[in-house]
Amino acid sequence: MMWSWIPSNWSLIWQLTWENAKLGVLPALYGLVISLPLGVIAARWRWFYPPTLTVINILYAVPSLALFIALIPAFGLTDTTVIIALTVFSLCVILPNVVAGLRAVPAAVTQAATAMGYGPLRRLVTVELPLAVPVILAGFRVGVVASISLASVGQLIGVSSLGYLFIDGLQRSFPTEIYVGLVLVIALALACDLIIVAVRRALTPWAAS
Amino acid sequence: MITFVEVTKRYQDGTVAVDALNLEVPAGQTMVLVGPSGCGKTTTLRMINRLVEPTQGAIFLDGTDIKDRAPAHLRRGIGYVIQQSGLFPHRTVQDNIATVPLLNGWPRKKARDRATELLTLVGLDQDLARRYPHQLSGGQQQRVGVARALAADPPVLLMDEPFSAVDPVVRASLQDQLLSLQAELRKTIVLVTHDIEEAIKVGDLVALYRPHGTLAQVAPPEQLLAAPADDYVAGFVGFDRGIRRLSFVTTDGLVLDASPVLPADATVAKALAAGQPWICVTDAERRPAGWVATVTLAAAPGDTPLGQVKTEPVGHAFTFGTDSLRAALDAAVLSPAGQAVGVDGDGRVLGVATFDQLRAAIQAADTRAVDSRAGDSAEARRR
Amino acid sequence: MSFFSWAWDWVTTDANWHGSGSIPQQLVAYLGYCALPLLIAALIGVPAGVAIGHRGGKRAVVVINTANAWRAIPTLGLLILLAVFLGFSPLTWLLPLVVLAVPPILVNAYEGVAAVDPSVKDAARGMGMTPWQQVTRVEIPNALPLILVGLRTAAIFVVATATIAAYIGLGGLGRFIIDGLASDQYGPVAGGALLVVILAVLVLALFAGLSRLVIPAGLRKQAKTE
Repeated sequence: MMWSWIPSNWSLIWQLTWENAKLGVLPALYGLVISLPLGVIAARWRWFYPPTLTVINILYAVPSLALFIALIPAFGLTDTTVIIALTVFSLCVILPNVVAGLRAVPAAVTQAATAMGYGPLRRLVTVELPLAVPVILAGFRVGVVASISLASVGQLIGVSSLGYLFIDGLQRSFPTEIYVGLVLVIALALACDLIIVAVRRALTPWAAS
Repeated sequence: MITFVEVTKRYQDGTVAVDALNLEVPAGQTMVLVGPSGCGKTTTLRMINRLVEPTQGAIFLDGTDIKDRAPAHLRRGIGYVIQQSGLFPHRTVQDNIATVPLLNGWPRKKARDRATELLTLVGLDQDLARRYPHQLSGGQQQRVGVARALAADPPVLLMDEPFSAVDPVVRASLQDQLLSLQAELRKTIVLVTHDIEEAIKVGDLVALYRPHGTLAQVAPPEQLLAAPADDYVAGFVGFDRGIRRLSFVTTDGLVLDASPVLPADATVAKALAAGQPWICVTDAERRPAGWVATVTLAAAPGDTPLGQVKTEPVGHAFTFGTDSLRAALDAAVLSPAGQAVGVDGDGRVLGVATFDQLRAAIQAADTRAVDSRAGDSAEARRR
Repeated sequence: MSFFSWAWDWVTTDANWHGSGSIPQQLVAYLGYCALPLLIAALIGVPAGVAIGHRGGKRAVVVINTANAWRAIPTLGLLILLAVFLGFSPLTWLLPLVVLAVPPILVNAYEGVAAVDPSVKDAARGMGMTPWQQVTRVEIPNALPLILVGLRTAAIFVVATATIAAYIGLGGLGRFIIDGLASDQYGPVAGGALLVVILAVLVLALFAGLSRLVIPAGLRKQAKTE
């Protein structure tokens, strides 16, 4: 383990970490944004959910590498390709949680809100979604962590991320790089995880946690 | 029988749920633990089958310290019924009931036959056997819960607010079922409830708790009503305990007067001659048909049969000997004549009792020894 | 879409079905690469999740959070690390896939048991079931729907990710993808990916059938999550 390698390559490491963070958080955010309306529809019209979920599960099954490649003709060897692919994957994790979270809101609460004169949209935004936040954020957490992890595979098509350290380390038989890469990916994922937990606490002061 | 000796339950944060409890539950009787929320009654119950372990003291079951028996083995010999029934959703009704026999190694057929027997015992239809719990109503689920607890014929039955989660009509029916089961099976039952009425209705002995884990009074229900130990007990039991106590007094000491009772074919003239303010008209089978005020008869022709005169409803009659004095008093209050109609077991009128006669019976009851738990007063208590 | 035409042309080329490194060969190898990690993960995750769910309490939450943290480990990175130190040992591809599959299985098994109605668990205990009997006769049967969800999720993860085994020179469907990439041939890349997707669909169908078979009738009626 060559410790001196770290400070001398600091700017590279930092840049790759930042790239990986973007490639991890952005897809999860886009996934959340797409999952919310889909989830609302699925929670309301139950027949919509199983087919949607099946399609997403199948898309998830496409090996990340293959999906990246499939998108190259359309989007080129850029960040966009990886981000789109990872967004599709995060849908698989976040959508079920949006649906489960909305379904878990007690019927008594929604009925009380309606009886008090809340219109459906207002009820959704001010009552149901806030109550579904813990479950939705649980899914979002997994989405972010998984995306940060999967982003490293993007390196195989030349999109830079901390995966670069794995592959370069393998090619040069230089374990130090691999260790650093591993540790940083894990640390990055855990840091994002903690941030999201803090956000959840801030958004749900009523929850006992 | 079950004996608690100086039993205390103290939790890690300092709360004392049960405080130096000494209690004896006689074999073959129903002991009801009743009290306000958080008084320790449920904790007491759960210490009997070791779901909760006491911090101090000992509990004896038929002379053996329960600590000397392995918990799972102990519990197989104790029936356990809880408020939400806790039926296993993944098993059919009959397999739920057969749980403990199967645990004890009975062959499947024997266990299922036993389940069938018990379904009948708790008043349920055979075709419920293959259904799943979620297909049953709340009352039906509770009955299955009781059947399940009785499956291995345990000598002891623990019931934790078993009827609190159902509506009053179903609750009354389940309580009645419990009473008739107990009359037949004579188990040692410990039942927890927060409802003093339920305690009085089903208990042979009532243990009333104070708010923090100590007992205020342990007595048969009649005595609790007649002689509460202090103001707390009196307050808990309720303000109309005098009248409610009358549920435990039979009517066989009541003097009935047959002179205001006339059949429908008797004439108005005869009614007027009887010299009563009200006449109780009976039908061809001597069943009460209605009351008529004699003043309204003055206008009618003397030879009109009473059956054709407009009468007022009787309200309800009380069954002489089996119904309680409280039922008789209630009948008198409801009657337009202010007199209670007493009938025999077949509903035929024996006579009527005025308020004076009822008052005399009430005062006589005070000086008489309180009835012990025998068949008659058991029936009487239910009205 | 040209992706499908590449895939279709390649899959329908007869030559690809014969000889060494053929589709059937790699398919069978791939099934092995998927099934073994899944089995091991299930043997670890289900008992652990059930035990933690049965016990409950604060410790349970800590353990579950740890399991979620496991997901942060990048499978590719772990694979490469093991390749450098262990070379071609089976552990090299097995360990990363097991690490990938355990969290969904464990977390779902835990949640399945934790979600069993407390009064049902109390009744089971109060009736005289030993802890083993409570777990096997009451808690697991009631947790089965969620346990199966966890297994299914893990299966999809593994089927999708086992392709990376090819990156360190092993076989399986990933071979087509990696080799195709290296030689700029999109046919095997698309074809390999298509085969993986078909396999995933079959796995989904398998689980749907399995759940119908295994989940007790009493639970199915209560419209549970799928």
